[in-house]
Amino acid sequence: MFYRQSGIRHTDYVSDSKLFPIPADRNLLLLILLIALAAPFILAPFYVNSYILPWLIWTAAALGLNLVIGWAGQLHLGYAALMAVGAYTSVHAARFGIPWEGALLIGGALSAVIGSLFAFAALRVKGLYLALTTLALQFVMDWVLSHSPTITGGSHASLQAPTFRLLGQAITSDAGRYYVALGWCVLVTIFLLNLRRTGLGRALVAVREKDYAAAILGVNSFLYKIIAFATSAFIAGISGGILVVCYYFLVTPEQFTVAVSIQLLAMVIVGGLASIIGTYLGVGLILLAPGVVNRLFGALAGYFDLRFSPETFAHIPNAVYGALIIVFLIIEPMGLGKIYRNIRDYLLVWPFDQLKK
Amino acid sequence: MSATSATTASPAQETVLECRGIERRFGGLVAVSGVDMTIDRGEIFGLVGPNGSGKTTLTNAITGFYPPNKGTIVFEGVDITGRRPHRIAALGVARTFQNLALFNGLTVLENIMLGRHIHMRPGVIRTALYWWLARPEEVANRAFCEEIIEFLQLESIRHELVDGLPIGLKKRVELARALAAEPRLLILDEPMAGMNQEEKEYMARFILDARAERGVSVLLIEHHMDVIIGICDRMLALNYGEMIGTGIPRDVIRDPRVVQAYIGDTHAH
Ligand SMILES: Nc1ncnc2c1ncn2[C@@H]1O[C@H](COP(=O)(O)OP(=O)(O)OP(=O)(O)O)[C@@H](O)[C@H]1O
Ligand SMILES: [Mg+2]
Repeated sequence: MFYRQSGIRHTDYVSDSKLFPIPADRNLLLLILLIALAAPFILAPFYVNSYILPWLIWTAAALGLNLVIGWAGQLHLGYAALMAVGAYTSVHAARFGIPWEGALLIGGALSAVIGSLFAFAALRVKGLYLALTTLALQFVMDWVLSHSPTITGGSHASLQAPTFRLLGQAITSDAGRYYVALGWCVLVTIFLLNLRRTGLGRALVAVREKDYAAAILGVNSFLYKIIAFATSAFIAGISGGILVVCYYFLVTPEQFTVAVSIQLLAMVIVGGLASIIGTYLGVGLILLAPGVVNRLFGALAGYFDLRFSPETFAHIPNAVYGALIIVFLIIEPMGLGKIYRNIRDYLLVWPFDQLKK
Repeated sequence: MSATSATTASPAQETVLECRGIERRFGGLVAVSGVDMTIDRGEIFGLVGPNGSGKTTLTNAITGFYPPNKGTIVFEGVDITGRRPHRIAALGVARTFQNLALFNGLTVLENIMLGRHIHMRPGVIRTALYWWLARPEEVANRAFCEEIIEFLQLESIRHELVDGLPIGLKKRVELARALAAEPRLLILDEPMAGMNQEEKEYMARFILDARAERGVSVLLIEHHMDVIIGICDRMLALNYGEMIGTGIPRDVIRDPRVVQAYIGDTHAH
C-alpha cells in the first residue's frame, strides 16, 4: 500500500494543510461515510438502533471529553454532570415550546456556562486536586437533581422528551434519529480534526506539554484551559440533549451519574488521549464489548453444554470485559488509537519493512 | 569588529531594555541583587557568570516568571515589572530556555508556528469554520515560518516530531520558534550548551544574522568566553548574584574581579 503516497507533491500550503493530504485516505473516508449514510437501509434496524446510534452519540460526547483530557491535559471527572445540564435544559426548553434546534443549543450553551464558571474556580488547582474538584461538580449535580423535583419531573423523577422536530420536520423514524446522531458526531469530529491544524489546537497542546514555555510565546494558559472546558461542556450539553431525544426518549438522573463520568473517562483513556479514531474505537469497546462478550459467552456455554449458576453467568462476562481493557492498555498504554496507527504504519510499507524509518 | 561599533555609542542609541536595581530572593537566598543593565537596539549583550550566579534568575525576572523583589524593568519605555509572562511576550520579548522547552508530540513546524501565536487570533469559532475563518491566517503565518525555517536550515525536518531530534537541532528549533514571534528583544539562555565546535559556530552565525536581517536585540547567556568576545557588543558579569563587571567584553574579561570569579570557580574557562 506504500504506493498510495507516490507522485503526491504539495505545491502550496493549502494543499499541505488538508485534513487528509493523501487522496487514498480521502477516498477511504468517503467510502466509510457513504456506508454510514446507507446503514439504516442495509443493516437490521435492531443493530442501528441499539448499537450504532448510541455509539455515535457517545463518541461525540467522548470526543468532547478528549478535548479537555487529551488536548488540554486536564483531568475531568464530572463530564456526565454537564451532559445532564444539556439534557435537562433542552428537554425543559422543548416542553416550554422552544423548537428543538434552539432547545439543544440552549442546553449546550447553559452547559458551557456552567462548565466554564466551574472551571474558573477549579483551575486554580492542578492535577489530582483538579480531578477531585471536577468530581465535586458531579456530586453537586447529583445532589441538585435528587433534590429538585421541578427539574427532574416530580415524584417519578423522569421527564418525557416532546416529539423531536428539526426544521419543522417531525423526526419519528429510526433512520431520522440515526441521521441526527450521525450528523452531530460528524460535526464534532470535523471540529476536532480542524483543531489539529489551527492555532487553538497547538496552543492547547502547548499548555498541556509545558505551560511555562507556552507562556513565553504569549499563550495565556488559564484562558486556554477555560476555552477547553467551555467548548467540551458545550459538546457535552448538546450530546446529552441528543442522547435523550434520539435514544432514551425520557430523561432521568440515573442516566448521568458518576458511573457514567467514569465510563466516559475509560472510553477516552482506552481509546487514546488526543486520538480521534481512538475515541471511536474506545467508545466502541466500552459500550459494545459487554454485550458482545455476553452473547459470545452465552453461545459458548450453550455449545459446550456448560452449566453455570446465573450469578456466575452474570459475572464472568464482566470479568472478561475488564481483563480485555487491561490487556489492551498493557499492549499499548497510548490506547487503541495507537494500536490502530501501529498496524496501519506496518501495513503501509508491507512487505518492504526496511522502508520504515 | 562588532565590539568596536559599541565603543562609539552614538547619541541616537535607543534603549530597548533597562533594568534598575534588580533583586530577587528565594527564601533566604539572594539569587540576584543590585543589578543594573541596559540593552540598546540592535545590540548583542552578553551575560556571563559562574554556575549559580543568577543569570537565569535575571532572565526569569525580565520575562515575568519570577518577578523581582526590588527594582524596575522597562521594555521600550513600558514598565513591565511584575507583569505576567504571556503579557510580556505579547509586547515583543522572546526567549529560549537553558533546559530545552520544546513541545513534545508536535512537529518542528507546529512548534515554530506556536511562535506566531501573538500574531494570530486562534479561537473556537475560527477552528470550527476553518475553511472560511482560519485558513487565510494559517497560510500567511505558515509562509512566515517557512522563511525562518529556511533561515535556520530546518527544511528537511519540518514535519518531524521534535521528540527524537538531537540536542543541537532542538536548540535550533527553539531559536526558530523564538524568532518566529518577531521579537524585538531575544533572550538566549545558553543556546550553545552541549554543542560541538561546528554547531557553536553555526549558532553564532545565526545569532549575528538574526540581528542583521531582523534587527533584533539579543541578551545572550553563555559560558564560552570565545563566543562572548566574538559576537557581543557589551557584556555583564555576575557572581553570587552581584555585578562584578560590565562594559566591552575585552575590558571586562581582564577585570581582576571577573578573572578571580572564573579562576576561583571553574578552571576550564
Ligand atoms: N526557583 C528557585 N527556587 C529556589 N532557588 C532558586 C530558584 N531558581 C534559582 N535558584 C537559586 O538561585 C541561584 C541562581 O541560580 P540561576 O539558575 O539563576 O544561576 P545561573 O547563573 O543561571 O547558573 P547556571 O550557569 O548553572 O545556569 C542558585 O543558587 C539557585 O539555586
Ligand atoms: Mg542558568
